[in-house]
Amino acid sequence: MLVGALIFGLGVIGFLARRNMIVMFLSTEIMFQGVLVNLVGMGLLHGNLQGQAMGLFVLVIAAVEAGLGLAIVVMMYRRRGTLDAESWRTMRG
Amino acid sequence: MKSRGRTRGSLDIESDAHRRAAGGRRADRTAEPTALTDTLVYLAYAVAAAGAAGVYLGLPRESKPDRRGLLVIMAAVSAGVFCLVMHRIMGDAANHVAFVVLSLFAIGGAARMITHPKPVYSAVYFIIVILSTAAMLVLAGAEFLGLVLVAVYAGAILVTYAFVIMLSQQSTMHSDHFRNALDYDRSSREPAWTVIAGFVLSATIAGMIVQRSWPSFDAARAAKTAEHNTLRLGELLMTDMAVSVELAAVLLLVAMVGAIAIARKRIPHDETFETRRPLGESGRTAPPY
Repeated sequence: MLVGALIFGLGVIGFLARRNMIVMFLSTEIMFQGVLVNLVGMGLLHGNLQGQAMGLFVLVIAAVEAGLGLAIVVMMYRRRGTLDAESWRTMRG
Repeated sequence: MKSRGRTRGSLDIESDAHRRAAGGRRADRTAEPTALTDTLVYLAYAVAAAGAAGVYLGLPRESKPDRRGLLVIMAAVSAGVFCLVMHRIMGDAANHVAFVVLSLFAIGGAARMITHPKPVYSAVYFIIVILSTAAMLVLAGAEFLGLVLVAVYAGAILVTYAFVIMLSQQSTMHSDHFRNALDYDRSSREPAWTVIAGFVLSATIAGMIVQRSWPSFDAARAAKTAEHNTLRLGELLMTDMAVSVELAAVLLLVAMVGAIAIARKRIPHDETFETRRPLGESGRTAPPY
């Protein structure tokens, strides 16, 4: 489970630090991997299958997130012509 | 650096001797959580600090001198300490060697993925992370989940990522500002603060995981969950969690529709041109040459 925590932390760093939006979304997938490892490990410790079932739903959410996130990335790339997340710095709500 | 690693190792051996003197096996760790747990927590913090320094040096920067040797040293130190910690925790598990190797692969792949300046190579390192995670899941008895992980991630999601990477970097390949366009890949944003944030977070999570008293690892129970894993997981999903499965299906459908709606190219079509045609003819007739 420490492995899961470390992978999750690396994913957080990658998401915050990298400026390429594709790499940022890959880092969120890394975070999902960490959570998945932790879920299965805890299910193993408790001796039931609910950790694995939750892991399956985490996979579903990861797939959904990848699809939507990449759609947004494609749209933003068409708007700006670059994948730099800093180019959206001037965005005001 | 090496002396620090050695002191950590000696600390580890010391506490190991203390643990053996106390007559405790690993299962008794929950019973007396004072000295040993403290050592483990500090070890986790030390691993996090070493890894933070390594990742900070590895993140792409504007003017990058050759820090590769330092990076390798940091990675080796953190890997060694990590091996010690894992050995302490997973010590008497039968397959802990394979587990340690796989987790090293996973963490190394993840670190290189977020530090590599090219997105395509990041995706390749991501495959390494996925494969080693799937192998870890199979080791843990979750063979169905491991297979699904390989199929979904390495098959579907990664192909989508590769597709988007190719799609969005194709146009910059042939132009003159190829190097300018990839500047944002070479310099990262606020490397120090992000590394501090991420590793403080993971050190806190790791510390809490170490401190909490988990139920002790029961090999017989684990073997029971590993036996007929796919069958029993399917039964659980279809009986107790049927509503969740349906919800997941609906969620996937909604996400598919939403992704198409977001990423669709908006073609401006002329209303008058459309209505001028007779009904049923629009789209079928080509304009005459």
